[in-house]
Amino acid sequence: MEEQDYIQFEGYLTGDLSKSDLLAFDERLESDSDFKTAFEIYKDVSSHLQHNIANEQESADFKANLDVITNQYFHDIESADVENKSSQKSNFYKYAIAASVVILLGFFVFNLLGKPNYNDYNNFDAISLTVRSAEDANFSNAEQSFNTQNYEAAIAAFNTILEEDFSNLEIQLYKSMALVETNQFEEADALLNKLSKGSSAYKNKAKWILALSYLKQEKIELCKETLQSVPKDADDYKRAQELFNKLD
Amino acid sequence: MSDKKLHEDQKYIDGLAANNTFIIKAIYDKFAPKVINYVKQNSGDAHDAQDVIQETIITIFNQAKQKKLELTCPFDAYFFLLCKRKWLNQLKKRKVNEVTINDDVLSKDDDAQVLSFETSIFEDKEALFNEMFQQLGDACKDLLKATFKIKSMEEVAKSLNITYAYARKKKSLCIGQLTKLVQASPKFNQLNY
Repeated sequence: MEEQDYIQFEGYLTGDLSKSDLLAFDERLESDSDFKTAFEIYKDVSSHLQHNIANEQESADFKANLDVITNQYFHDIESADVENKSSQKSNFYKYAIAASVVILLGFFVFNLLGKPNYNDYNNFDAISLTVRSAEDANFSNAEQSFNTQNYEAAIAAFNTILEEDFSNLEIQLYKSMALVETNQFEEADALLNKLSKGSSAYKNKAKWILALSYLKQEKIELCKETLQSVPKDADDYKRAQELFNKLD
Repeated sequence: MSDKKLHEDQKYIDGLAANNTFIIKAIYDKFAPKVINYVKQNSGDAHDAQDVIQETIITIFNQAKQKKLELTCPFDAYFFLLCKRKWLNQLKKRKVNEVTINDDVLSKDDDAQVLSFETSIFEDKEALFNEMFQQLGDACKDLLKATFKIKSMEEVAKSLNITYAYARKKKSLCIGQLTKLVQASPKFNQLNY
């Protein structure tokens, strides 16, 4: 196709052709199959770009939400499998759980007496990034550094991932946790504020981490305010309420 | 397609497009087990099934967002065919020779065949468009990103420091160039144009 043809395609799609041009265009669509094919591709490419660029945030939110759901689903069926296979081991787990409940209770009572502290709450779950990207060294690097509490290295790895995939909200969340750990509050709070105002599956987690960031900075009023914004259906709702009551 | 009756399972398509958590969970609960079984019976494991399902759902989301995706068959059959085709393609790529293709579960529902085939083609197109977009020059990439993000061509022109007329012309030429790249690709023939 010539340059002029593509300009016509665009004009046709945006409705900017004159009546006579429009007639000629429709006629050519009928009679010239190469023209028609090129136009079909042009149209599809436009709609593809429209969706991918204009709805970037929406797509990222969807993928984040899907990530959470799929991991939860497969985690659940995996643990169901393990339970079935390991009934012999289960006695050990029962004692282990009982023991940890006792320890936790002691910890809890002890905490009731003292002032709440960031370090009471930063026992983050291990993150898992390698399920879907096993072959990517950056992901396994980030995961390992984060889980071994080597947060500076984790931040470096997260940054490398975000360079390729800057809208990866999951990585943004983990990065902000690592930033709070290393006292880089300004960047952490900015990131967490953005995530908690978004519509992704990570927004509630981001609120909780933001509250912890304020707690660590001893910005108690902001911390309380943020804790109150954690909704009832959030995973961290109970902990948020508990911390709020202690601060109040 | 328009003369056919929409299936009640259209709610799954609409729910995906709306990022409805409840619907997405329901899709996993109702339709994932069959796919997991199939993948496990054909040289794969649960992780493979997870990837296949996740990618398939993203494709359906993209198609539902961009084009009208009107389901005229049960979601079950449509979804299973898509996942199955994706898994068989994966196996082909991994060059697993002893694929035991278990065809007992093959759907005989015609609409499901047609619709899932259209979605597979859509997915291939998306992949090729993405690949070719990366081959554009930076000037075109920047202009297209700005055009589709900002919407108003006047503002695009201002932000890139070019005239309105030039921005408009350049937009169509850049999409034209992308069109040419797509047509020249060896993968183009599989796209049903």
